[in-house]
Amino acid sequence: MPFTFLDWAIVAAYLAASVAIGLAGKRYVGSVSHYLVAGRELGPYVGIATLAATEIGTITFMYNAELGYRYGFAVFSTALISGLVMIFVGRTGFVIRRFRELELMTVPEYFEKRYSVGLRLLTGALVAVGGILNMGIFLKIEGEFLTTVSGIPSQYLILVMTVILLLEMLYTVLGGMVSVVITDFLQYVLLSVATILVSAYAVYHAGWGDIISTVSTTMGEAGYNPIVNPKFGFTFLVWQILLWFSLNTCWQTTAMRMFSTNSPETSRKVMTWTGFIYLGRGMLPMLWGIAALTLFGTGPLDKGVPLPVVDGQTLAPIDAMPSMLAQILGPGVKGIVVAGMLAATMSVNSSYLLGWSAVISQDVILPFRRLLNKAPLDSRRQIFVNRIANLFVSAFLMFWGLYYTPPGAVYLYLNITGTIFLAGAFASVVGGLYWPRANLLGGYLAMIAGAAGAIVPFFFLHWNETVVGFGSFGLAAAGLVVGSLLRKPSGAPLEHSYARRRKP
Amino acid sequence: MKAWQIFWSASLLIAGGSFAGITLVVAVKGFQDLRNALRRWQEQKE
Repeated sequence: MPFTFLDWAIVAAYLAASVAIGLAGKRYVGSVSHYLVAGRELGPYVGIATLAATEIGTITFMYNAELGYRYGFAVFSTALISGLVMIFVGRTGFVIRRFRELELMTVPEYFEKRYSVGLRLLTGALVAVGGILNMGIFLKIEGEFLTTVSGIPSQYLILVMTVILLLEMLYTVLGGMVSVVITDFLQYVLLSVATILVSAYAVYHAGWGDIISTVSTTMGEAGYNPIVNPKFGFTFLVWQILLWFSLNTCWQTTAMRMFSTNSPETSRKVMTWTGFIYLGRGMLPMLWGIAALTLFGTGPLDKGVPLPVVDGQTLAPIDAMPSMLAQILGPGVKGIVVAGMLAATMSVNSSYLLGWSAVISQDVILPFRRLLNKAPLDSRRQIFVNRIANLFVSAFLMFWGLYYTPPGAVYLYLNITGTIFLAGAFASVVGGLYWPRANLLGGYLAMIAGAAGAIVPFFFLHWNETVVGFGSFGLAAAGLVVGSLLRKPSGAPLEHSYARRRKP
Repeated sequence: MKAWQIFWSASLLIAGGSFAGITLVVAVKGFQDLRNALRRWQEQKE
């Protein structure tokens, strides 16, 4: 169905409101703490909204729908793990409570407090590389979604990517976390409405009975049971558990929300309730992918699954879901859904832009200046450095999005690029917080082994993602343990600034 | 296979229900949270 004037009007109204609200946030920014962690003033509900909006984007819908299309219900296991791990972290306060008590602004900042400024610098560089490579494919995939659903000719893909980037940059660069939080609230509500609408439409058009029978006949037991599915298996599930523990505690954009809450208790509540949202964040778009398989999976087999055929054209599995939406959504509804997806896109990209540029400025540039014995920058200049880093990240995103195409499922590419720093960071953080013996040599070995274990086998040797991911976490843990046992423990346990401030 | 079908169907229902329910609560109560944050940011800037 064509994108009507009503649809365009809804999208334009959303864009105008979102950018105007985002720009209004600039007047509340008084210090670098406002710019990066919203002055640590977020209550539980707005905290949930901003965390959920940050981690639910069009890219999330696209890769989860692709997984659903390729692997059926078996892939629900990853969504279940992501949600349950998040609920566990929230209930126990594992890592996040102590992080919040330390009043950090970035994850690598912890490495200086616990280990050394040099390790902070190394971690900052790895976080920036992994994070930006991770985000590098967002724009292209989001652009593909929006052009497919709205019917914009594909030759305008670069223009769509540029417009998306410029709009979100506009308020992120100026208003930082304050603007991001305010817009996230509006965007969360809109993207949730779109998610629920699309789920209802997908099941209505594909039919629940047909969805079940398609998965059963196409994939058999492997479409339901992740242990027997050749792509997954036991090792994959263990890697996913480790990965989601590290994502929920050490992923910069998630951690920044924990740092922005008004207390450690609020951070736990936010994490717990967002865990329930994460179940739907994964399973609902996976369901859309399975519905697309049911409706359009009639093409030649690709790795055992029929490719989607829409209007006589054979597509890649990742394009099945947006093509389905273009066909089944009616006028008005399509505008709401595209506005919702734009909201999802902008909330994720603005937060990620801020997250990775914060790491470049706070954990690479500023520590490097200190190592050169240069005078510290005041708050105003730190914000300026952040804005420049923001522009640099944006320019790289355009380049990488056009240049690079992931070899397999997008979800697995994102997992591996995240693992570049997550494996080492998670081992060092958990060791640093809960193992008094952990020391600087262990921290260095964990970061280097974890990063090398992800980069070399994935980008150069083209090994299977599960082996790479699992191996990277194993190498990082081994590096921390071996290094820590070879030398004496480094430094006294941290005295938490939050606890110190509360002492009478 | 039937047991897996029932398990994933139940999981999907819980996931969808949680998603919709929490969205509703956050949309209503989050507005007050946001107003409090705006007030505090304004006070801190002054």
